Amino acid sequence: MKDIREDIAWAKINKDVLKSLENPRKLYWVILLIAIAMVGVAVGCEVYQYNTGMGVSNKNNTHVWGLYIATFIFWIGMSHSGTLLSAILHLMHADWRKPIYRFAEAMTTFSLMTAGLFVAVHLGRVWQIYYAIPYPNGRGVWPNFQSPLLWDAMAIFTYLSSSILFLYVGMIPDLAICRDNMNPGWRKKLYTALSLGWEGTDRQWRNFRVTYLTIACFLIPLAVSVHSIVASDFAMSQQPGWHITSFPPYFVAGALYSGCAAIITLFIILRYVFKFEEYMTLSILKKIVRLTFAIAMVWTYLNLIEYASVWYGHDQASKDVLIQKAIGPYAPFWWAMNFCGTIVPFILFFKRFQTHIPVLFAVSLLLNLGMWLERWMIVAPTFSHGYYPWTWDHDQWPSLVQWGIVFGSFGWFTLLFMVFCKVFPSVSMYEVKEMVYHRSQATKKLEATGKMAAAGKGAH
Amino acid sequence: MSVSNLLENWSEFRHFHPVDDVPHNPYKWAMSIDLDACSGCNACSVACYAENNLPVVGKEKYAHGHSMHWMRIERYWDEDGRDFPDQGAQFLPMMCQQCEAAPCETVCPVGATNHTPDGINSQIYNRCIGSRYCEANCPYKVRYFNWYDYPTTDNVWPAEMNQQLNPDVTVRGKGVMEKCTFCIQRVTVAKNNAKSQGRLVHDGDVQTACQQACPTSAISFGNLVDPASKVHRQWQAQQVELDKDAQTKDKANDKEEGGGSELRGYRIFEELRPYPSVMYLERVRESAV
Amino acid sequence: MSKRHLLALFTNFDEAEAVVKELRGVNLKGFDANKDMIVKSPIEHPEVEEFLGDRPVRVQWFTLGGALSGGLLAFFLISGSQANFFAQLKGGKPIVPFPPNFVLTYEMFILGGVYISVLGFLICAGLPARRSPLYSAKVSEDQIGILVQSDEASSGTLKAIFTKHRALEIQEEAGK
Repeated sequence: MKDIREDIAWAKINKDVLKSLENPRKLYWVILLIAIAMVGVAVGCEVYQYNTGMGVSNKNNTHVWGLYIATFIFWIGMSHSGTLLSAILHLMHADWRKPIYRFAEAMTTFSLMTAGLFVAVHLGRVWQIYYAIPYPNGRGVWPNFQSPLLWDAMAIFTYLSSSILFLYVGMIPDLAICRDNMNPGWRKKLYTALSLGWEGTDRQWRNFRVTYLTIACFLIPLAVSVHSIVASDFAMSQQPGWHITSFPPYFVAGALYSGCAAIITLFIILRYVFKFEEYMTLSILKKIVRLTFAIAMVWTYLNLIEYASVWYGHDQASKDVLIQKAIGPYAPFWWAMNFCGTIVPFILFFKRFQTHIPVLFAVSLLLNLGMWLERWMIVAPTFSHGYYPWTWDHDQWPSLVQWGIVFGSFGWFTLLFMVFCKVFPSVSMYEVKEMVYHRSQATKKLEATGKMAAAGKGAH
Repeated sequence: MSVSNLLENWSEFRHFHPVDDVPHNPYKWAMSIDLDACSGCNACSVACYAENNLPVVGKEKYAHGHSMHWMRIERYWDEDGRDFPDQGAQFLPMMCQQCEAAPCETVCPVGATNHTPDGINSQIYNRCIGSRYCEANCPYKVRYFNWYDYPTTDNVWPAEMNQQLNPDVTVRGKGVMEKCTFCIQRVTVAKNNAKSQGRLVHDGDVQTACQQACPTSAISFGNLVDPASKVHRQWQAQQVELDKDAQTKDKANDKEEGGGSELRGYRIFEELRPYPSVMYLERVRESAV
Repeated sequence: MSKRHLLALFTNFDEAEAVVKELRGVNLKGFDANKDMIVKSPIEHPEVEEFLGDRPVRVQWFTLGGALSGGLLAFFLISGSQANFFAQLKGGKPIVPFPPNFVLTYEMFILGGVYISVLGFLICAGLPARRSPLYSAKVSEDQIGILVQSDEASSGTLKAIFTKHRALEIQEEAGK
C-alpha cells in the first residue's frame, strides 16, 4: 500500500480539493443546525447559571471543581494533535502528514477556542474575567503570576494565537490557489485579501520555508509546556492524588493520545464526505493508527507508574485516594477510563483492524471517551477523599447544567470545524503536490538505477 | 518606576516567609483553642454568623454541602465498640488557620487572597472572580464559596432581619469566596483606637466574635509577638513555635517509649508546612458521659 | 525604450532550469538576470534555489530578536508588577519568586519568537505584495512560470529562448 500514488496530476489535486469548497449538500445544513442547537443548549445552561449562581451546577464545598475543569483540560489535550502533525512530524520529515495536517491544525485552533470558553464558564464571576489580564490600571493591581491558573491563561493565549498564525501562514499558498480558481464573489474577495498577493515567487518560497520550520521548532516546546502548565494546576497543589511529579508528562501523553484519536475520527469523516480517498489513503490511516497505539502505550505506562509510585510511597493520604478511585463512588468511571485507555487500543494492534474503517471509528470515539473520563477522574476523587477527614463520605454528581454545557461544547467545536471545511481547503494542496513530486522523483531514480543495474547485468 | 523599585529592594523581595530573622512587628494575630474547655455548644459558630453577615442557607442546601459556617464545630468519635456509639464525641472548632505560608494565597489567579503584615490571610471580595482554586488547595477546607446570591434569596435575611446585619462587614453576592478573617473589622477598629491614643493594641482590646461568645473561654486571641498577651504566653508554655513544621518538643520525645510530649499544644497538619496561626490544646479528660 | 514584461510557462523544473541558465548567459541590453527575472512555482523547490544561487533568508534574525525581547519583557513586566506598590506576600514564597516567573518568561519567549517570526516573514517575503502585471493561474496549479522584464527590443530574443525550451505559453504585456 502506498501513502499516495505518485502519478496524480497536480491539476487533479487542485480540482479535488477545491471541490470540497463547493456549496454544501442538504445533509451539511442539517448537521450544522444540530450543532447550533447543541450550542443553544449550552448557552441556555450558562445563562441560567450566570443569573442564579454556580450552585446550579451541583458543585459544593469541597467539590469546588467539576466537569468544567475536566472538559477544559480535555479540549486543550485534543489540541495537541495539530502540533504533533504539523510540527513534530515536519521536523522528522514524515511525508505522510502532508494530506492530513491541515484539518488537524484547524482542530487544534478550534479545540483551544472551545477550551477558552470553559475557563469563562467555570468562574463564579465571569464578568470580571478581565482581572486575569495584565493591564496597567490606576490601582496598580496586577494578576497573581504565581498562580498556575494564570499561567494557563498566558500559555493558552500564546498557544492559540501561535496556532492561528501557523495555520494561516501555512495556508497562504493554498489561499492563492483558491483565489486563482474562484468565480467572482465573496469567496474570491476573501481569498484575494487573505492570500496577500502570493504568487509563488522564489523569494516568497524561500522565506516561507524558513519561517514554517522556525515556527514549527517553537511550537513543539510550546505545546509541551502548555499542557505541562495545565497539569501543574494539579501538580503544584499539595492535595493527595494531585501532587504527583509525573503529571506534566502524563498530561502531555494523554493530550497526544486524545489528539491522535480525534484525528482518526475526523480523517474517516472527511475522507468519506469529501471523497478524499486518493489523498487520505488507507496507508496513511494505518500510520496514524500505529502512532496512536504507540502513544496509548506511553500513556498506559505513565498511568500505571502513577499508581505504582502511589502504592509504594509511604503517603497514606495518596494511597487512600487511589483506593477511593478504585472502590469509591466514582469506581465505575475510573474502571471505564482504564478500560478505554489501556485495553481498547489493543484492537489497533491487530493488522486486520488497522484499516477497518467502522472499527477504527468506534475505537477512536472510545479512546476519546476514555481520555475525557481520565480528566474527570483526576478532578473528582481527590475532593471526595482529601486530607481532611471531616470532608469525607459525601457524594457529588454533576447536574444537568454541567452536562448541558459539556454537551454543547461538542456542538460548538463541530460548528467551527464545519464552517472551516467549507471556507478553507481542508487538505493542503501544495504540500500534497510536493509529496507526489518527491515520490515521483524517487521512483524515477529507482527506475534509473534499476535499468542501469539491469543493463550492467546484461552486459556480463 | 516599578523596575527601579524592583532592583533597589531585590533582597527584600526575594525573602522567604516565615523565618526568624524577619519577625512580625508590631502585630501577629494568633489564636489558641483549648479543646478540654470546649463543650461543643456552637455559640462561637452562631456568633460568627451574626458578626460576619453569614447567610443561613437552609437545611436542603446545607445537606448538599453549601454551608457557609466560617467557624464550624466538627465532631469525631472513636470507633472502639462502646455500648453507646453516639456518646463521647470530640469537638474541634475549625476555622481558617491564617497560615503564614498559605497554600491558598499562591494559587488565586487574580491575587484576591494575600498575607497582611499583621499575619492574617486576607480575602478581598471585590477582586475575587470565583475560580475556587484557593478552596481546592486548602488542606483544611475552611473556605466557603457563595454558590447562590444569598442577599436576593428568600428566607436568608427576610425583611427586618436584614437590620441585624453588621455594617462593618460586606454582604457578599454570588461567585465570591469567603472565610474566617479573625474578625479583621474588629482588629482594625482596635488598631485605630490605639493609634489615636498613640499606643499599640493591648491584650484584651480586641476580641473576635467567637472568643467573645464562648461560655468556657476556650478561645484565646491576641498578638503573638506581644510578650504580655495571653496567646503569647500559651504558645510559649506549650513550646509551639510559629515557623516550625515539627516542634522541637515532639522531635525530642519521639525517641522515648510511648513518644509524644506531655505538653498539650499542637497545630493541625503542621507537617504540610502551611505554618498555621492557630494552636489547639489537646483534650485531657476522658469522656465522662 | 519602455520596459515590457514577458511571462513564460513550463511543465517541469528541468526546463525551467535550462531557461534560467540560458538567460543568465545571454547578453542583452537592459536585461539583468539577477534583477529582472523571477521564477514562480506551485511548490517549494530546493532545486530552483540551487540553480538560482544562494540568496540570504533573514527571517531567523527576526526570530532571535523577537524571542529574546519577549523573554526579557516578560521577566521585567512580571517581576516589576510583583514588586509594585502593593507588594504582598503570597503563600510564604518570596514576593518575586523565580519558578513561576521562569514559566511565564519561557512562554513569552516563545510568543515573542513566533509573532516576530511571522512579522519577519511578511517583511522578508514582501507580503502583502502588489500583484505582478502578468500572472497565470497555472502557476498555482502545475506549471512553472518565469517572469522577465526587458526592453521592447529584446523581447524577440527572449521569446526565442522560451520557445526553444518548449514553453507552454508565453504572455506578453500589452503595449502602453
